Amino acid sequence: MSFTLTCPICGPRNAYEFGYGGEDKGPRPDEKDLSPGDWCDYVHMNRCIAGESKEWWIHRSGCGIWFTTSRDTTCNLEVRGKAEEKDANPPLEKE
Amino acid sequence: MKFKKKRLWGDTPTMKTAYDAVIIGGGLHGLATAYFLSRHHGMQNIAVIEKRYIGFGGAGRNTAIVRANQRTQENLPLYQEALDLWPVLTRELNFNLMFYNCGNLNLAHSEAAIKAMRMNVSAAQFSGVDIRLVDRKECKELIPALDISDKPRYPICGGMFHPAGGILRHDAVVWGLAKGAAKNGVHIFQGTEATGIDVENGRVAAVDTSRGKIRTPRVLNSAGGYSADISYRLLGIKLPISVLTIQAMVTQPLKPLLHHVISSGAYHVYANQTLKGEIATGAHMDPWPNYTTQTTGHYIKHQAEALTEFLPCLKGVKFMRHWAGLADMTPDMAPIMDGNAPVDGYYMDCGWGYFGFKSCAVTGKYMAEFMATGECPDILKPFTLKRFEEHRLMGETAALVQYSADN
Ligand SMILES: Cc1cc2nc3c(=O)[nH]c(=O)nc-3n(C[C@H](O)[C@H](O)[C@H](O)COP(=O)(O)OP(=O)(O)OC[C@H]3O[C@@H](n4cnc5c(N)ncnc54)[C@H](O)[C@@H]3O)c2cc1C
Ligand SMILES: [Zn+2]
Repeated sequence: MSFTLTCPICGPRNAYEFGYGGEDKGPRPDEKDLSPGDWCDYVHMNRCIAGESKEWWIHRSGCGIWFTTSRDTTCNLEVRGKAEEKDANPPLEKE
Repeated sequence: MKFKKKRLWGDTPTMKTAYDAVIIGGGLHGLATAYFLSRHHGMQNIAVIEKRYIGFGGAGRNTAIVRANQRTQENLPLYQEALDLWPVLTRELNFNLMFYNCGNLNLAHSEAAIKAMRMNVSAAQFSGVDIRLVDRKECKELIPALDISDKPRYPICGGMFHPAGGILRHDAVVWGLAKGAAKNGVHIFQGTEATGIDVENGRVAAVDTSRGKIRTPRVLNSAGGYSADISYRLLGIKLPISVLTIQAMVTQPLKPLLHHVISSGAYHVYANQTLKGEIATGAHMDPWPNYTTQTTGHYIKHQAEALTEFLPCLKGVKFMRHWAGLADMTPDMAPIMDGNAPVDGYYMDCGWGYFGFKSCAVTGKYMAEFMATGECPDILKPFTLKRFEEHRLMGETAALVQYSADN
């Protein structure tokens, strides 16, 4: 379905101009001594939150910039401001 | 005389404080597992808890296509047994599941597509699946309404035909399984949401629900599109899943013209004619994860254009209804079935994407065995969550870049 995303350069644009780049999982882990489990966690695992999710997007058919933004996955509305205050790892995580 | 309505699966029972197993999700997989637990394993003290009503999820929204033309050695036997199970289950449940084994025709629109199908057909034949390559002319014999000329943008070169596949009535499967399970003593609670899972010393101890706590040593996560959200929210276990909205629609009823399920990867569309006469068609998935289940005008247009390219007789036919549901997709297009890891007594049956209808009965059978014995049946072993860490993805699809729904 259609919705609007805000590109940091071009401003609000139709979401079909953008490419989804996955959940924001923090920085790419250091490959030195990296366990298969941690690599798998970074590559494959998702939180799949039905609610606010911080994620990567690219303005593919626009200026080409990669950026992160937060979206409510239950209604496709951008949630701005909140995510920036939060850590990349929400408190729910148990490991 | 007053007509008294009686529900197929009986009245809502009183909830007990403890059950031998709690099943989260009154969808296809949850109900099937409950049914087989109660029928084959003598486990009758089971609760199925469903947030909304049974069949609310993918169970009541799918296009009900069944087939066994998978690609890999791990998946093929499971789907073949799934196909064989429908007539057995119809008898066992004493409920007409309306299995219509009309066969599936997948179209190829290029030499490259034929080559890919040749590999697919060989793998499937090796596993005893009834399937063969067909040329352009035979496609036309199977579906005379097909345009096999060079007029369509992607002319038809041939295809693969899988006579044993077909469609069922999806609601009947939900009702039949619920009726069968309830008759064996399973308690089904609608309007009851799982809100927490208590773990004590690494073992499942209880499930919190919107109607109170249930103590139990076993819980199955079969919450369909919500299974990954639940897994992370209730247990902190992340899954390699992306949840996407997938759409479908039906036309006005027509006289019989499509005697087989038909699908085309190139046009990104599949269709079949229901027993009522409507052309049920779908395939579009949103290019980004979401839980909206919203439909788009964009896709109605795409569908109309694609279908009328190779079935020109559908021009002018009206679409009547349009809906969407959730598909929980994994990177290798194969499900995750696992248990007792990392939490004892916690079982999962998820990642079924858009292929969880055809597989529900057979999966229920084996998940029930898994939950009753604690031992993973051999046929389910390749589907472990560990495969992603071990780099043993299954390759049910050749391309991972964008998800594509064939049916
Ligand atoms: C448009 C569409 C077309 C499809 N076409 C096909 C097809 O042709 N062939 C095919 O094989 N498959 C198809 N599928 C896929 C198939 O429908 C699903 O894979 C299947 O329904 C999965 O079954 P399930 O039991 O895992 O989940 P579901 O049937 O979705 O059931 C899950 C249930 O869990 C409940 N639930 C969620 N959260 C909670 C909670 N916290 N507590 C309690 N209950 C909860 C939900 O309300 C839901 O009823 C299609 C799906 C869609 C949406
Ligand atoms: Zn931009």
